[in-house]
Amino acid sequence: MDRIKRFFEQCWLYYNGSNAHIDWEELIFYRIAIPLITLVYYCFIAKHSFRTEQLTKWVIGNSMLLCNNSCVFTIGATFEGERYYGRLKWLIVSPYSRIATVIQKGFFFIFESIATVILCITFGSLLFGVDFTNVNLGLFIIIMLTGIIAAVCFGLFLSIFPLLFDSMNLILNLVHVCMLILCGANFPVKDLPKAVRFISYCLPFTRSIEAANMLFGEFNKYRLLTLLGQELCVGIVYLILGVILLKIIEKIAIHKATLEIF
Amino acid sequence: MKKIVSIILGTMKIQMKNSFVRPMYRFCLIVNPISNTILLYYMFRNSQMSDFMTYVILGAGLSSLWECICFSSVGDINRERWYGTLPAIFCAPAGFNLIILGKIIGNTVLSLISLGITVLTAGILFGAGIRIANLSGFLLAFLLSICTFVVISQVFAYLLTLSRKTILFMNCLSIPIALVCGFVIPVELLPNWIFPLSYSLPMTWAVKLIRGTFDVNFTENEYLFCLAILMIEILIYTIIFCLLYRIIDRKVKIKASLELM
Repeated sequence: MDRIKRFFEQCWLYYNGSNAHIDWEELIFYRIAIPLITLVYYCFIAKHSFRTEQLTKWVIGNSMLLCNNSCVFTIGATFEGERYYGRLKWLIVSPYSRIATVIQKGFFFIFESIATVILCITFGSLLFGVDFTNVNLGLFIIIMLTGIIAAVCFGLFLSIFPLLFDSMNLILNLVHVCMLILCGANFPVKDLPKAVRFISYCLPFTRSIEAANMLFGEFNKYRLLTLLGQELCVGIVYLILGVILLKIIEKIAIHKATLEIF
Repeated sequence: MKKIVSIILGTMKIQMKNSFVRPMYRFCLIVNPISNTILLYYMFRNSQMSDFMTYVILGAGLSSLWECICFSSVGDINRERWYGTLPAIFCAPAGFNLIILGKIIGNTVLSLISLGITVLTAGILFGAGIRIANLSGFLLAFLLSICTFVVISQVFAYLLTLSRKTILFMNCLSIPIALVCGFVIPVELLPNWIFPLSYSLPMTWAVKLIRGTFDVNFTENEYLFCLAILMIEILIYTIIFCLLYRIIDRKVKIKASLELM
């Protein structure tokens, strides 16, 4: 019981610490204004390029992808943050479980991401008239949660790389750009060349966006469950890879003395 | 005059080198145009517009150019503050205004590479090129667009000198300006209440002018109208940044806040 309590305390401490420097102005802009403006931007481009007034697909897809701010950028930069705070070497030498350390860093960001998606979808629905009347909201929430969990695991996987590289911001931006193109938020994945489609399906959100869009169109229960299962598998694979990589990279970093490189 | 040109050229050279070594700038300069072109191509390719590649190339090129400028020129004064060189260039006999102008021109010229990368990406990946209907008009419009970006960057850079949250505002300027100024989609498709803001920004007219030179139906009168408004707005924004400099210069000296983080 004491260990579980300590786990959640650490989760909260990390989340609280990474948001401690943010004042109300930054909170409004970073967490509300920028995601909403980004959503509006892509929806207007879609409205013009696809010549349609039905922007449901783009509202849903881009709202989910906007979680990247928390799932990819914030979680992906955690170990880099630890290096700046001077805690990295203590984390590495600590006998505490690596999986727990990695999961702790992403736990509360799941809730932040849910809030982002709900905010963006609500705003997008009001502005672009997305109709939720015939949509199974319970199922929609399950899809959203699955996508976010997979993305958080992906972020945790990326967060290991700062142990070796000092340009994490560049890597995270590159990943974000790839997700913007490959996840099917702005155009169907089937439009991409076959080889590139494989990369699409290795990324989180690709399947959950497809599943979420299915709720607004042709519903296929078997396909939906397959997509959700595969999305969860993608997340689990990234989490396992993250833990394995952490052990390998940690050894390389100690060997190369790059643990505290700036 | 020779001295002014030499100061501007010298600052441009240093600024280009400094900017290019920053990994994030290289990302904006190289990766952004490629990704923007790919994304816009796949979004526009089923649009049934005969000139959809114009939208793709111009949209991707201008958005990438703006992002480069936004994340470099606009935050340059703050960057100097972090380097600890701001007081030195503020008091330099060459003149703060001239040094900042040189830095912004340097960044803008370097950022033009993103336009070239966009055209190359469209050509290599999708076999598409651009067909300019009015070449001389395009060259003038392009030159004026560079002036527009320089002037607007200077205004934003000075405005952000007063704030300590440059990174926040740089992030906030990037997409809204691209949307409001019609870099990717025409301003006319946006809600009416945005029009006053859009038309008060010179980039909107610069984009209209450039896009017009690709369109055979864009008349000479329309071209001259856009050109006149663009030149007036450039003049207004030049006056604004001169005034801003005076205000900031005064404020900084009274408050001694130049190195305040």
